[in-house]
Amino acid sequence: MMKRLQKKICLLGDFAVGKTSLVQRFVYNRFSDKYLSTIGVKVSRKTVVIPHADAMVEMTMMLWDLAGSQDFEGVRANYLRGTAGALLVSDLTRPETLDSLARYLKDLRTVNAEAAVVFVANKRDLVAQQQVSPAQVAQVAAEHGALYYLTSANTGTDVEEAFRSLGRLLLEH
Amino acid sequence: MDHRDSALSEDHSPSVQELRELLFSQYREKLAALEAELDDLESRVNDEDALTAMVTPIIGDAIRRKIRDAREEMVEALYPIIGQTVVRAVSEAIRDLARTVDAQMRTTFRPQMAWRRLQARVTGVPDADLVLRDALPFEVEEVFLIHRESGLLLWYISQASELALDSDLVSGMLTAIRDFAEDAFGRGELADLDEIQYGERCILIEAAQYAYLAVVVEGVAPQGFRAEMRERIIEINQAYERVLRDYDGDPSPLAPVEASLTSLVKSVEPRSLSPLQKRIVMGLLAVALLCGVTFCLGGYWGLRALRTTPTPVPPTAVPTTTPTPWPTATATVTAMPTPTHTPSPTPAPAPVLGVMVGNVWAYESPGGGARLEKILERGRPVEILAVFDNWCQVRWVALGQEELRGWVPLRWVGTLEEIPGRLVTPTLVP
Repeated sequence: MMKRLQKKICLLGDFAVGKTSLVQRFVYNRFSDKYLSTIGVKVSRKTVVIPHADAMVEMTMMLWDLAGSQDFEGVRANYLRGTAGALLVSDLTRPETLDSLARYLKDLRTVNAEAAVVFVANKRDLVAQQQVSPAQVAQVAAEHGALYYLTSANTGTDVEEAFRSLGRLLLEH
Repeated sequence: MDHRDSALSEDHSPSVQELRELLFSQYREKLAALEAELDDLESRVNDEDALTAMVTPIIGDAIRRKIRDAREEMVEALYPIIGQTVVRAVSEAIRDLARTVDAQMRTTFRPQMAWRRLQARVTGVPDADLVLRDALPFEVEEVFLIHRESGLLLWYISQASELALDSDLVSGMLTAIRDFAEDAFGRGELADLDEIQYGERCILIEAAQYAYLAVVVEGVAPQGFRAEMRERIIEINQAYERVLRDYDGDPSPLAPVEASLTSLVKSVEPRSLSPLQKRIVMGLLAVALLCGVTFCLGGYWGLRALRTTPTPVPPTAVPTTTPTPWPTATATVTAMPTPTHTPSPTPAPAPVLGVMVGNVWAYESPGGGARLEKILERGRPVEILAVFDNWCQVRWVALGQEELRGWVPLRWVGTLEEIPGRLVTPTLVP
């Protein structure tokens, strides 16, 4: 019998880095994106099956897509409560979004020091506009001892793998 | 100019007067007209009816325009006045309704009403309240047990299975909304969002330390429902404290909560009697049934005894030749309507007994011959000695009298069994 688990995952990152696009592409949505602009969060679901200890685990990730704008800075701490893991999303075309990740990670660690994290540098399909190199992303991820993925919500490249990777980390925790 | 004006005003010559007339006449006319208009206005203002007639259409138009253009604003402005009045009127109307229902219930009888009345007596709830409670629809549609920190769905119960698909998303968003409300309105207070109303539906929320309960209901929640919710969530919180505190996302250890949550759904169904109350009611019903059956059987047996058993005749010192008291097996074995005074020692067939079903004169012979001046009262037991045509010869003993015989119309003698043929004589034998 397959074991079933639920985990709360947060997507963190600056405004317009592509968090919502990552969610929209691969997960089950029921709620409109207007929740992001009204209460600063929208919950979606992503179910992945992950092999673990000679068995398969069906993990339902409840994805809390947190608005990146400054308007919801205050409430963000509330939304982070009970989070098991997070995808820290940056934009390869905007270097400052990569720098912001340290701040988001700090906020997360304040609430849950044990939370698993995966760094995601999005918009890898916009090659001509890239201002952040993969090496820079790798360096930031290494500084925090985290895995990283260069993704494209537009083409779907490595999006699924990023979620699965986070799922595996959660099982190992 | 000033010098010239003062010179003019002081000059009273005709030419000046004429010039003055020419210059000021039009102003004088205008002044007079204005004065008249002012007088008219003053009279209208002082006349309340005239003022009302003048102002009412204007105010009416203004209010209509304002309501049309700024409905919400008008509602808000008028609510403090109208709201209370409406609330008072509605409360009074509901009280009236309750009184009417109560009065109707007390004056009408139907099995349902009788049951409800019994229920009201046993539970101590007024009849009218029970009727109103039945009239107010209330249904628990969904029950969410949610992990307080993460918003993960711990357990879920729904009346409609299709709703279950999104229950985890709903629990997540509900938690997000609670978090948002806490941040936006909490202001450091230890307060929680405990209700979300949407049309006829309402989400009632009761929280404990590690989990909270969200119940989607439709209609008006009965009294005590919230207390029951609180009781359930506290029970669950205490029973699964360790699992909930370090919740790892596996809800299977919480499976036993289903019974507790289901009982919450069932608790809103019409409150049934407690087992003890049910036992008492059943006992009362059984006693009533037993009494009814006993009464019926007693009545039947009484009637039967009345019909079959003649009134016991006390032994009397009757100066007759027969030494045996009546009734004895002394009836004649012949089908002779004429009674015999000869006692027979031989065993005779059992006497045929009957009872008078009316007050009837007894006759010496059948067919309405000479009357014996004896009346057989209704209910008197008699022995049927013979039958001829539509007449019947009977024997009876009146209290303190000797044994008597006579003929009475057959239709006034009731019997439980058919009169044997041996007693029926085709011809009258003297």
